[in-house]
Amino acid sequence: MNQAWISTLVFLVVSAVLAASVMIAARILGVASKRRTKLTLTTYECGEEPEGPAWLKFHPRYYVVALVFVLFDVEAVFLFTWALILPDLGMLAIVDMFLFIGILLLGWVFALSKGALRWQ
Amino acid sequence: MTITIEDLRVLTLPLELSALLFLVLIADIATSSVRGKTFTGWLTFWGLCVVFGLTFVSPVAGEAFGGRFRADTWTLFMTRWFIVAGAVVTLGGIDRIRRMASRRQGEYNLLLLFSLLGMVLLIGALDLILLLLCFELSSIPLFVMAAIEKRKGQEFKLMLTAEGAIKFFLVGVVSTPIALLGLALIMGMVGDSSIAALDGATTSPLLKVGLLLLLSGMGFKLGVVPFHMWVPDTYQSAPAPFVAFLSTAPKVTALVALARILVSGLQNRSELWTPAVTTLCVGTLVMGNFWALGQRSTKRLLAYSGIGHIGYFMMALLVGDNTGMAMFLFYVVAYLLTNIGTFLVVEAVCGRSEDESIDVFAGLSRRSPWLAMSMLLFLLSLAGIPFVVGFWAKLYVFIAAWRAGYSWLVVTGALLAIVALYYYLQIARVMYMNEPKVKDPIAVKPSLAAGVLICLLGIVGYGAYPRPLLESARAAADAFMQTRSATVSVSLR
Repeated sequence: MNQAWISTLVFLVVSAVLAASVMIAARILGVASKRRTKLTLTTYECGEEPEGPAWLKFHPRYYVVALVFVLFDVEAVFLFTWALILPDLGMLAIVDMFLFIGILLLGWVFALSKGALRWQ
Repeated sequence: MTITIEDLRVLTLPLELSALLFLVLIADIATSSVRGKTFTGWLTFWGLCVVFGLTFVSPVAGEAFGGRFRADTWTLFMTRWFIVAGAVVTLGGIDRIRRMASRRQGEYNLLLLFSLLGMVLLIGALDLILLLLCFELSSIPLFVMAAIEKRKGQEFKLMLTAEGAIKFFLVGVVSTPIALLGLALIMGMVGDSSIAALDGATTSPLLKVGLLLLLSGMGFKLGVVPFHMWVPDTYQSAPAPFVAFLSTAPKVTALVALARILVSGLQNRSELWTPAVTTLCVGTLVMGNFWALGQRSTKRLLAYSGIGHIGYFMMALLVGDNTGMAMFLFYVVAYLLTNIGTFLVVEAVCGRSEDESIDVFAGLSRRSPWLAMSMLLFLLSLAGIPFVVGFWAKLYVFIAAWRAGYSWLVVTGALLAIVALYYYLQIARVMYMNEPKVKDPIAVKPSLAAGVLICLLGIVGYGAYPRPLLESARAAADAFMQTRSATVSVSLR
């Protein structure tokens, strides 16, 4: 067995112990009413009264919007790290990043022209 | 690791393809009419022709990303043939896609280019992770392309298309994690993700499990028996020009990925993978060819025949040395040209009526003699009859396998080639002997006819004079088998 795998093993054990200990602690320390009424069995939603079932149909448009959102979310991740080390990289990095943003913009224009962001 | 301009120079060919991709994307955004969308198809075709021409102008050789990607004689050879396949399929499919998916022509061509880009990157990849990423890039667009036709008012056909596409999609996405898990185990046992390091793997049960998982995952993509169930359904329901692509280039890509790991990576450890590959090879050869016998649908028959052909590919991989790889490459080219041509003829004959049973071919020799003759030549090439290119391909694979000591496998393959001859000639019999139901000749669009003609010239030309192809295949195979960095050279041929 490789030496590096030991840390993986330790990680697995620690995560299992942590997860188990939280559940056991909740069982010991938790205060629960003994009576099983309708109120104790409902889902806890931060004090609000739960309304309707959670098994809902979502409009597929959410999916398209989420996809376009992820595109620019990831772009932001790259932009921050790029900005941090920009002084060391110089001119080439600036050209690279604008190329990257250009490609993403092209994808955004494509999504716009296909009507992916129109909500009908 | 930093990426330098030199790295990008090695990636010239994939970058040229990406540039074409952006041009097509911009053309798709800029146009809104059906006519303009068809222009994206022509742009794709002519762009691929230009990229093909550019491969002759400035071939690049070298390594990029610290030896994780290499451009050499091998990548040049494969890139050229993938581009030819993409260009011919685009040309042959322009009319069908305009007719059946007029609003989505731009997407179709874009997805085809994305898939091609993945393939072209994969053949140069010398790293397991890069290999898998490229493979995904080449296969995910295909899921969308299989479902590109939305039919209004033809509920049954629509359901059939959806069924084939969903089967393809589900099998595709489920097999990827299986292959990925296999790769993860292999990487864990080797301690490195580069192909060159595979040789130093310690023989352990986990490594064997990893290889087995990898083989099953790739087996689904390849459609080898027993992982073939999706193949006939998808081929039957998808548009024929797309099936011409699906049945050739992605299969070759998956085979190349397997060959990269098994034949070139583990070339000195062949005892690890030959038993499993031999089993798959025999099963695929036998079952593919026998299931094809009873088919009444041309597309299903060709699907099972394609499964059988994967068996011959695997036989060439089993040889496991430079000669075996060269014969594998010869078979790749023969199969690309022949199978694309066959499906384009199927599109010409059955595309309008959407009825692809063998009976539609009845009396084709009297309706359209040229179409019948080209179909006959394609079928002969698939069956391996002299003197079309398929004959040389089978012969070379048999000779290489015989010399490597697989005489029993060669006998099995030869016997099954006779079985295959029966069902191929059944189509020929219907074309030449049966009375046609309709007398008038079939109207074939010039673009589709040109696509068929290119394939026809290829199989007849290389059938009459296979030497140039054989020599370039040998040079490419020699470059392929070199896993460790060496003086990378490239020949202009």
